[in-house]
Amino acid sequence: MSTNRRKMRVASVVAGLGIIAVLAAGCSRGGGTPNSTDDGAAEASPGITDTSITLGITTPLSGPTAGPGTCTVAGITAYFGAKNADGGVEFGDGKTRTVEIDALDDEYDPQKAKANYDQLKSSVFAMTAGLGTPTNRAWREAAIADEVPQALIMTGDPIFSDVGESPWQLGFVPIYQNEGQAFGELLAGSGADHKVAILSQNDDYGEGYVEGFKKGIEGADNIEVVKELTYEATDTSVDAQLTELAGSGADVFFNAMSITPLVISSLQKTQELGWLPSWFLPSNTSSPSAILEPGGAAAFPGVYTVAFAQSASAPTFADSEDGAAFLSALKEYADYPDTPAFPHCVWSYQVGATLEQVFAKMTEPTRADFMKQLRTISGYTAPLMLEGSTVDTTQDGQPAVSTVQVQKYNGKGYAPATSWDE
Amino acid sequence: MPSTAESTSRTPVLARPWVRWAGIGLVIVLLVVGPLLLPEFANQTIARIGVFAVAVLGLNVVMGYTGQVSLGQIFFVGVGAYATAWGVDNDWNVVLVFALACVVPAVIGLLVALAAARLGGLAIAMVTIALPIVGVPLAKRLSDLTGGSQGTSARFTDAPEWTGLYDDQWQLYIVILIAGITFLLTRNLVRGKYGRAFAIVKGNEAVAGSMGISPYRYKVLAFTIASLIGGVSGFLYMVVIQYTSPETLHFGHSIELLASMVIGGAGSILGSLLGGAWYVLLPQITNLIDPNITAMLQGAILLIVLFILPGGLVSLPRLWRRRRGSLSTPVPDQTTPTHDAVIIHTERQDQ
Repeated sequence: MSTNRRKMRVASVVAGLGIIAVLAAGCSRGGGTPNSTDDGAAEASPGITDTSITLGITTPLSGPTAGPGTCTVAGITAYFGAKNADGGVEFGDGKTRTVEIDALDDEYDPQKAKANYDQLKSSVFAMTAGLGTPTNRAWREAAIADEVPQALIMTGDPIFSDVGESPWQLGFVPIYQNEGQAFGELLAGSGADHKVAILSQNDDYGEGYVEGFKKGIEGADNIEVVKELTYEATDTSVDAQLTELAGSGADVFFNAMSITPLVISSLQKTQELGWLPSWFLPSNTSSPSAILEPGGAAAFPGVYTVAFAQSASAPTFADSEDGAAFLSALKEYADYPDTPAFPHCVWSYQVGATLEQVFAKMTEPTRADFMKQLRTISGYTAPLMLEGSTVDTTQDGQPAVSTVQVQKYNGKGYAPATSWDE
Repeated sequence: MPSTAESTSRTPVLARPWVRWAGIGLVIVLLVVGPLLLPEFANQTIARIGVFAVAVLGLNVVMGYTGQVSLGQIFFVGVGAYATAWGVDNDWNVVLVFALACVVPAVIGLLVALAAARLGGLAIAMVTIALPIVGVPLAKRLSDLTGGSQGTSARFTDAPEWTGLYDDQWQLYIVILIAGITFLLTRNLVRGKYGRAFAIVKGNEAVAGSMGISPYRYKVLAFTIASLIGGVSGFLYMVVIQYTSPETLHFGHSIELLASMVIGGAGSILGSLLGGAWYVLLPQITNLIDPNITAMLQGAILLIVLFILPGGLVSLPRLWRRRRGSLSTPVPDQTTPTHDAVIIHTERQDQ
């Protein structure tokens, strides 16, 4: 009996392996034969025909980052959904194509992101819009080796915007340095003397913000950094740091913090301590409804952040023409009926608009031509952009959007702050 | 090797020795020829299955065979991956890199086990929970070694020119070779003297002690071997994925590995392979169904499979035979070889 069982097990190994092989082979069918040499100068790249083009996205659609991740798919799907309904997008080669989106969930796991890329690379023309630094880094080098565009992705990591290091990549959103610098410049331009306390996350995120801020205040005699502390991204409390910073007597608090609950508790703790400086918060942790209201931010003389896109939760947003078009497209084509709480929906929508600009310049249906044209967009104001921000893909070392506007919290939402006023 | 004399006359065709050897031969041929014939994505998928099958195998040594709850397996995979990346960055010979990727996790595993195995019971589980939880911030802080939160990549497995192979084929051959050897060695380990000792430690520590088998020593041994195998998996991770970051060590992946082990079949070599396939294919399948509800689908499928097959996927043929057996004349199963004791044991618990 026991030998029977053992033999049956061996037999099932064979069967099992067969099933796995067939399953795996079946999964890949859609892509054709990726290993075949499909060269020839102007021959079409994978994922593009005379009537359609397919774009791939790998992004977190489940897990803790699912909210913003879902938005990165919804925005671009909405944009091209509306375009497809009008007949499609006109390309530089005179053809009109519909744009299809093929999005996969990577659960913010680099390994799964790489698997998704492997799955998509032979059936999509380009990868785009995916969220996350590690999940985009996981297949950056593979994309370079395979010559697959990784265009307009949502990460503040500068490596994706360096042409030398990342010839097939380009980031969309401002890098951390851009944000810190914009605030630093505004502060330096105020003319008044300010003492600044800095708290930053001890990783590339926090360091990027502080680096940008220091560049912004470079040479300004009126700004003095009186205290600089860090915390770990895994810390559950920064009370000790806040108490120490409160003792520094600073009137400006530059807080490069990416963790929502920590920002809320920091806002509350500083009030308890009786320290009421002006705040700077990064763009991704400055949501009026999710962070500032529960944190009681109205108590401070000013809470500043930066942005390049309009906020969908602003009261006037739905009344504007672009805003209404965005919301209705989101509802109709992306199955996203609510007003998005994350800015990534608007960003992704703008990625769609930027890609349309690139498509209009493409004279050959190839990935190489796409990358060439991708780097030629400048001075383009995408829908829902704030005044002063534009898409400029021509500067090496900068993402597609590098100009951000400082904004000040007014108790309900944000209003542009062109100068320091108190 | 089992004695087959008495069984050949009345066993079904599939169980005869020549069929069995033919089967093994077929598998080897498939493994050699397959990578050349299959499309790129299939190769990459099978390679990833190999990576996580090894990780699940390690977990099986400590949990499935020795019965000690470990929730930290992904930590050792991550350490192996980081050690590999570090070795490659410093231009070490690839054999040395592999040795490093095995030794570092094994030493860490040994040190942890020396302390944790003394605690006994669920305390080991608690200690192992701490590993990935400590691992993530540690990987972020030691940025000189690990590349910080941006992670580190190492492309050292592009196919050499002389082979004429594509990268994915070359990588799959590396995975097949290393994973194959790891599986063979582990199979021999758990079917021999140590495997019997592990089974007794799992079954009853007092009995083990009375038989002169130190539960403490064998727990430490199992845990160290599991860590070492985790390191091998980490090396393969870098062979295939070529990038690692603190996200790799995320605690959630440890739970996914654990679920994969149970789904594949606890205390089973073949179950480890099935577990690896589950780990890799489930997200891909749920992505095919609907990428927006992958988490929900994965949970639902997990429940369904566990409900139908409490013994894991590996018990599928047994379930089928039992069904068929109950229609004809059921034969009571009396001879229970030691290496199957564990499976039988879990089955009984389920009933």
